[in-house]
Amino acid sequence: MAYQDLRTYLEALDAEGQLIHITEAVLPEPDISAAACAITKFGDKTPALLFENIKGYTNARIAMNVHGSWCNHALMLGMPKDTPLREQFFEFVRRYQTYPGKVEERDSAPWEEVVIEDDINLFDILPLFRLNHGDAGFYIDKAAIVSRDITDWDNPATQNVGMYRLQVKGKNRIGIQPASAHDIALHLKKAEELGEDLPIAICIGNDPLINTVAAMPILYNQSEYAMAGALAQEAYPVITAKHTGLQVPWGSEIVLEGKILSRVREGEGPFGEFTGHYSGARRMPVIEITKVSHRRNPLYEHLYLGQPWTEVDYFIGINTSAPLHVQLKEAFPEVQAVNAMYTHGLVVIVSTKVRYGGFAKGVGMRVLTTPHGLGYAKVVIVVDETIDPFNLPQVMWALSTKFNPQYDLVTIPGLSILPLDPASDPAGMSPKLIIDATTPQAPEKHGHYSQELRDPVSTEAWVEKLRELMPKA
Amino acid sequence: MTKKIICPRCESEHTDILTQSPVPGVWEVYHCEECFFAWRSTEPDFITDPAKYNPEFKLTREQLDQSGIMPAVPPLAKR
Repeated sequence: MAYQDLRTYLEALDAEGQLIHITEAVLPEPDISAAACAITKFGDKTPALLFENIKGYTNARIAMNVHGSWCNHALMLGMPKDTPLREQFFEFVRRYQTYPGKVEERDSAPWEEVVIEDDINLFDILPLFRLNHGDAGFYIDKAAIVSRDITDWDNPATQNVGMYRLQVKGKNRIGIQPASAHDIALHLKKAEELGEDLPIAICIGNDPLINTVAAMPILYNQSEYAMAGALAQEAYPVITAKHTGLQVPWGSEIVLEGKILSRVREGEGPFGEFTGHYSGARRMPVIEITKVSHRRNPLYEHLYLGQPWTEVDYFIGINTSAPLHVQLKEAFPEVQAVNAMYTHGLVVIVSTKVRYGGFAKGVGMRVLTTPHGLGYAKVVIVVDETIDPFNLPQVMWALSTKFNPQYDLVTIPGLSILPLDPASDPAGMSPKLIIDATTPQAPEKHGHYSQELRDPVSTEAWVEKLRELMPKA
Repeated sequence: MTKKIICPRCESEHTDILTQSPVPGVWEVYHCEECFFAWRSTEPDFITDPAKYNPEFKLTREQLDQSGIMPAVPPLAKR
């Protein structure tokens, strides 16, 4: 069964040895981010961290690194924690393809227990802290943010649940980064064309799946809740927040409701981003919070991001790869698997059967024209079907032996990319690269590939035999 | 007369106390009305002290006012 809130998921992590309780008193800065950075140094099986004693606060608790390992990702999907990454990927893809899943509307939610409408002070309610030294202030970076098209209000398919960074600038004032390519920017544009504010709900401390979906590049008219239902393989529970009329997760710890102020832009940033670089400062929209609701003693959850790999890289790894995999396979059934885990898909590795010479380059072109690829895929590496794109030593072997720079390199100038890519010039524009590291097929003919090494004939049987003979852990 | 709080980032004097710790006396959070920087009294001095703040991250209101707008404000629709 899927976890319907953060508390039950943390209990499950605890039971599996995937949660460390930090009971010593810590300062908000730099202790919390330093510990969250430190845990990433222990590899890809690390536990979540729960800070239970934060100096200056009475009951605050902060959960970090909740999505920060493949073990935690497997447990989120209800799989054994040692499930290999490749298996998790294909199970994720299988569930993704059962979209739309069921959505269950409930009448009441635990987060309605405490309501604050007057004299809101977000700093009293949320244990906010600076994540990286150059950040402009105290950010909320792991909230599921809900909005709708005010000209199509009753359409649940175009309701959006997304994750955008939020700079808390005042007691009830927040800066938001709705990048132009993201769905919320469409909602904001329609509201601003009419001179109207955009109602918004900011949901913090959620079940792990809705955060995964909120950070996932699904289509504009796909519902994140129906996607969460598909990934959970059971109905996803939501409730309509009375103040704004937006549907929000039933299991959230904290719900902030308010509005993006129409046609207002104000200085925001910098903020250390998933690119491993700070974003610089720009003028961005502003939110005014008018109602806060939360569970008693709410859990605050925050995402650590630093120079990769850190929690954010686990968080946006498989959920970026799966939609690309499905969209590519629609055009080319020959595609075997897609690894878009590097910096949200700035690098994409595709494994495919190659039907004829030039085919792999065509597959690479399609990556660039997928909705996510348009804004991200900068370097596409195409490898043979025999290469596992999640196995980097295999990919490096293909690059080092199958790739000939004279024939296999395609550079396309003048394409779009997310402005946060520090290499883009001007910000938001970049040439893109396709590297064909597949074995040349007729009529393409270069190199000498007829004598590739293969495993001896009974290797597979020996793998099974030796597996039994291996010392048990 | 209390000492004026200078913004460590833009060095403006237009700053204010944003909030105080729920447990009294542990820390205060300040913010700058010019560059929107916020900081806590208990942070390391390279965050709180204008003289020690990382020069790469210094930012003035003027620079902010000339920074890019994202997303662009669309024209008002004709009614």
